[in-house]
Amino acid sequence: MSTRAVYSDLAAEYDAVSTAAGLHDASYVGRLKATGEDSLDLLNRLSTNKVIDLETGQGAPTILTTDRGRILDLIGVVNLGDHVLLITSPGCQERVIEFLDKYTIMEDLVVEDVTLESAMFSVMGPTSQAALEAAAGTGLDGLGPYHNIRAEIGGESATVVYRPMGELPSFDILVSPEAATAVWERLLADGIAPVGSEAVEIARIKNAVPAFGPEMGEPYNPLEAGLIGSIDFAKGCYIGQEVIARLDTYQRVQKYLVTLTFSPEAQVDAGSTLARDGKQVGSVTSVTHLPDGEQLIGLGYVRKASAEAGVRLELEEPATGWAEVRDLPQLFGPGQD
Amino acid sequence: MAITMDGVELGVTISEKAAGKIRYFASKEGLGDDVGLRVAVKGGGCSGLTYDLQITDQQLETDKVVEQYGIKVMVDKKSFIYLVGTELEFSDGLNGKGFVFTNPNAKKSCGCGTSFSV
Repeated sequence: MSTRAVYSDLAAEYDAVSTAAGLHDASYVGRLKATGEDSLDLLNRLSTNKVIDLETGQGAPTILTTDRGRILDLIGVVNLGDHVLLITSPGCQERVIEFLDKYTIMEDLVVEDVTLESAMFSVMGPTSQAALEAAAGTGLDGLGPYHNIRAEIGGESATVVYRPMGELPSFDILVSPEAATAVWERLLADGIAPVGSEAVEIARIKNAVPAFGPEMGEPYNPLEAGLIGSIDFAKGCYIGQEVIARLDTYQRVQKYLVTLTFSPEAQVDAGSTLARDGKQVGSVTSVTHLPDGEQLIGLGYVRKASAEAGVRLELEEPATGWAEVRDLPQLFGPGQD
Repeated sequence: MAITMDGVELGVTISEKAAGKIRYFASKEGLGDDVGLRVAVKGGGCSGLTYDLQITDQQLETDKVVEQYGIKVMVDKKSFIYLVGTELEFSDGLNGKGFVFTNPNAKKSCGCGTSFSV
């Protein structure tokens, strides 16, 4: 247990995540407990997605945005019945609590950081559902993003939350710290390989999941970050709604998150500048080597005119080589009609 | 503590027309003459904070209460901080916006005017 960069072999760990199922200690991911009868109502008024109707067992991704429509954080709203769990980006607990507190005037809502009060393991990979169903002895069919189900793993009670990494299925298992070792051992005994943070980071970039810092934060709005699938354009006002609706209606989005591949000899880092015909059009935000063939892949933001599959861009000095736009990822799919 | 300007205590004021509309809505709801109007601020709206109006006879001990044109205007303590000096008007006609708030504390408002930030 505990999060390691690599457990034994990076290539084998990435292989587990991308072709089978891997077990990752994701206890560093932020968790907040929201209690009070106005929890969902207030979250609905403060964020991009419709969360007011979420019933026990259901959940949804939503984005807290500033009044300028910029990303404060992407949060998963998980209705556990007796309270609402908010899954934040790692290290973003404090900024989310401050934001919610600021706008809690008369509402019945108390938010506390409970990140250290549970352990959280992710079972991720194409066969993760079958692997977890075997361990938990319960079916996991039909769970939407951030939906949850109670389960028993290794004799310990756990909450399972579906939190896919783009196309890659991934389930979070929340257990008490006392039960953590037993649950971890049980999942390992079921043949799910332990996976460190390096393999998970490669899987994140490969599956085009934006991370807070490089791809999410106040420099960006949700439309730029490909998060249109977590915006409800019909539910009414929330903070930043006017700006986001205008950007969408008048197609004023200036840049988009893209997936990138690079020339074999490229020297590139997060932050490298991308140019087209000598003019700067964007930058690389995340970059990694795939463990097998040493192929370089990355994420970046590119101005709208160049954000098209197949567009080749130059890497500006001190980087060398070229990048090619592969795709414009949308983490939660295209927008809702 | 009372907040004053030029010796006049500031609160939330309503226009005669707004008071008439409130009485009209109260009678439509089947409420009697002795109605009160709760003016409050909630989190949300495009700019962060949004106005909330309720016709009610429930008064809180900590409310700021001023009777205007026969309407008991009640503002809870926390909302009062955001609303002090606010005027409530009613705008009707084809392009009417309904109840309109003029709030001197609002630094920014959204396009439709129902949301503001301070």
